[in-house]
Amino acid sequence: MFLQQLANGLTIGMIYALIALGYTLVYGILKFVNFAHGDIYMIGSFIGLFLIERLHMPLIPAFVTAAVATAIIGMIIERVAYRPLRTADRIVPLISALGVSIFLSSLAQKLWGTGTHPFPASFGSVTYNVGGLIFSQIQLLILVLSFALMIGLHLFVTRTRIGTALRATSLSITNAQLMGIDTNRIISLAFAIGSALAAVAGIMVGIYYNAVYPTMGYMAGINAFTAAVLGGIGSIPGAMLGGLLFGVIENFTGAYISTPFQSVITFSVLIVVLLIKPTGILGKKEILKV
Amino acid sequence: MNRKLGWIPVLLALLMVLMTACGGKEENSSSGGTIQIGLAAPISGTQAQYGEALRNGAELAARQINEAGDIDGKTVKIVVEDDKGDSNEAVNVANKFANNKDILALVGHFNSSATLAAAPVYNRNRIVHISPASSAPGVTDAGDYTYRVITTDAFQAKFLADWSKELGYQKVALIYEQSDFGLGLLDVYQSAATAHGIEIVAAESYLPGAKEFSTILTKIKEKRPDAVFIGGFYNEAALIASQAKKLDLRTDYIGVDSLYSRALLELGGESVENFKLIGFFYPGGNNEQATKFRDAYVEAYGKEPDTYAAYAYDAASILIEAIRQNGADREKIKAYLDTLKDFPGATGSLTFDENGDVQTVPQKLIVKNGAFALYEG
Amino acid sequence: MKTLNKPAFRRLRPAAFALLLTALPFALEQASSYFTHIAISILIFAILALSLNVIIGYAGIFALGHAAFFGIGAYTAALLMMKGELSFWLALPAAAVAAGLFGVLLGLAGIRLRGDYLAIVTLGFGEIVRLVFVNGGKVTNGPMGIPGIPAPDLFGYALTRKTEFYFLALLLLLFTVFVIYRVVHSGIGLSLMTIREDETLADSIGISPVRFKVFAFALGAFFAGAAGAFWASYISYISPDTFRYLDSVNILAMVIVGGIASIPGSVLGAAVMVLAPELLRFVNDYRMLLLGLAIVLMMMFRPEGIWSEKRRRVHVYRQSER
Repeated sequence: MFLQQLANGLTIGMIYALIALGYTLVYGILKFVNFAHGDIYMIGSFIGLFLIERLHMPLIPAFVTAAVATAIIGMIIERVAYRPLRTADRIVPLISALGVSIFLSSLAQKLWGTGTHPFPASFGSVTYNVGGLIFSQIQLLILVLSFALMIGLHLFVTRTRIGTALRATSLSITNAQLMGIDTNRIISLAFAIGSALAAVAGIMVGIYYNAVYPTMGYMAGINAFTAAVLGGIGSIPGAMLGGLLFGVIENFTGAYISTPFQSVITFSVLIVVLLIKPTGILGKKEILKV
Repeated sequence: MNRKLGWIPVLLALLMVLMTACGGKEENSSSGGTIQIGLAAPISGTQAQYGEALRNGAELAARQINEAGDIDGKTVKIVVEDDKGDSNEAVNVANKFANNKDILALVGHFNSSATLAAAPVYNRNRIVHISPASSAPGVTDAGDYTYRVITTDAFQAKFLADWSKELGYQKVALIYEQSDFGLGLLDVYQSAATAHGIEIVAAESYLPGAKEFSTILTKIKEKRPDAVFIGGFYNEAALIASQAKKLDLRTDYIGVDSLYSRALLELGGESVENFKLIGFFYPGGNNEQATKFRDAYVEAYGKEPDTYAAYAYDAASILIEAIRQNGADREKIKAYLDTLKDFPGATGSLTFDENGDVQTVPQKLIVKNGAFALYEG
Repeated sequence: MKTLNKPAFRRLRPAAFALLLTALPFALEQASSYFTHIAISILIFAILALSLNVIIGYAGIFALGHAAFFGIGAYTAALLMMKGELSFWLALPAAAVAAGLFGVLLGLAGIRLRGDYLAIVTLGFGEIVRLVFVNGGKVTNGPMGIPGIPAPDLFGYALTRKTEFYFLALLLLLFTVFVIYRVVHSGIGLSLMTIREDETLADSIGISPVRFKVFAFALGAFFAGAAGAFWASYISYISPDTFRYLDSVNILAMVIVGGIASIPGSVLGAAVMVLAPELLRFVNDYRMLLLGLAIVLMMMFRPEGIWSEKRRRVHVYRQSER
């Protein structure tokens, strides 16, 4: 059972990692926690469900379309609800993000009802038995695709010009501007990438649990945020590490204690990390300039 | 700025006084030709799907009586208020209904916590309410004016435990919802089953609305139970069964009437085949009322009714019958309910005991070939 | 408006207001007990909004789990009255103190954290408290809640009528307003606002952010707890359902809409948030949607709320990099 739980934990950990990346990309640049990110993940999942169920799109095009659509939504939100507030007191965009979060989940409830929607049954139901360990097709997909995406992102950020611009902006917006980088577009890009990853995660989760519902963003968002903090918010490898680690911790809590206790663990981990090492495992120490 | 704004509270207070003066007059005017029965249910919020079922069931009962033109030529109207599945809101709704002299009685609420929160208001104001879904044991003592057409969790769990013994289960695992509903079922089933010599090998809880059960199921798989008792609703039950299948967990499943719904079959597909449950609503079986209700429901709404629609239908029907026999008066309705015996409902032959709890006999059901059927032998 | 603002009228204003407030419950009760219930709800939520405003508006801390303090107060009072056989008049202050202690706890846990992190931690706190209520087994009766909480007993006379509860709630609110007003307009208030505006600066001139932030949490929690004790006795039934994240958001909305760092603003916000769903029942389906939209719009065009502190226009330019 231990190995099985470990496998399950790593699977969900990958999902958390993908969502955590969204948080980290935005936080790295704006030092702002996008409260609504969990709901963007949920919207991505619904869009994917719609494409696959209603329009009968095959899997890969559905992933791509949903990712693009969600990226656009993420960019619009940034443009409309966050950018105008960038110069205000920090509390203001936070509250705005809360408003966006409420808006998105209520919108989903209005459009798709409050019930749970299953994915068409043909997906991911094939299972492989490897010496007692059960792997479903979808689990394999999650592991492989997430890994590929993370490698892709890492290469993008380290080996391309835009990626370098992104990193420069996260070090200092003003300096990046001085170097001629259009920081507004970079910020939009950060939101876009984060949202796209979240959408992919959302669809995979929808297939894995066979359930898509309007409030799925709430807990997943908090869990992923905790994962990001655990790994070191503002650091991409940190988000990945944090995601995996947290997924395993959460799963083992459910396995050896009980599942309702999992949310207690989430917040406990968060509080402990923030009290002991707020920058997380791989995070850099921040110097507070006065 | 503040000078002008200073008048806001004064104006607000004035507004409220005026509003109530006018509103009050409206409330007091008699509504002449309609008989109003209230329905307090979660129309919005996370339980909205159940609220819809309740509403459909109750409105169907009203519609049927109106078509038959039976109560002194007056039409029956179901007045719906949304309690959002929230106990605070339930109190608001209760106050509204209780203080509206035109509401003679009502069907409500859905959640046990909503019913428990609202009951004191109804009891204080001496208006009858029949809950179509609150099965927590606490409702028994909630008051003289509190009735229900759903049996208590204790009753159902015990019945299920007896049936488990009959089916020869020796090791049973429990998966239950961490809520008043699930915990109530857990308690009784556990003690009743253990008294029968059945070993409870696991008792895992999940939060209402949970979607992920592989952690729990992996644990349970280790214990190799003969059966898994699902103490929760059909959504989660379907997910549990389908996820168990993915993990290659083979076992029997048993549950109470909260599993009875088309959604169980749709969400679960093949994985819910051979699910055994006890139900009070089963059309196409021995209960003629149930079949008639189902046919009427399908004709009216274009889909199959679930247990909760049936309960609401029965609750409304009982109230309508009370008004028909005893007249449009709150106390007289209560008098009728106190003497209710063997009322032919879609969920069985109903009798109220001295606490307002219903006495009826459940049926044993099984899922065969993607549909519910009576369990034979 | 001009005539109404003439000095003569202005002097009459508080008297008129007091008269209306006193006559209100009787007028409402005439029409329907339901309206009195709404009025009582407004009063209690005003206390909650005020208590949250101390934390958010005056101390500048974005706190999300406020319903937890409401709940702690309610459960403490309920348990003291039912299992401890304590009278309501003792249970209420005890509950408020209990909540206050948890406020101190949360404050201490969060002091070193920055805004966004602290927000999530407060959210976590709210969830953990709720989970404790749900899993409290024999103590809190879990999800079944605690029914049958006794009403306040005044020398042998138990409060039964809504009008009586109304006056009790009103007294509670007046007390809350009084204390908070005094605090805010004192040295403590100034220190809090200094910390709110610029924490590092405040620290450097000797105002200890730790001490004052913890104080803000404690004060806010205290009154929320008192409100909870009242609510428990008034509704006579509490369950973990009453104190969820959504309820915290609701109280937050009252503060934001009504006015950050503004006492009349909080009362206004409470009135708006309680009355709106009642008056706008036809848009009930879209309630949350509109709320989300309203919050975003408010932040863009009037972040300080409807009735705000005089000079506070949330407009301080911050360095976005550290």
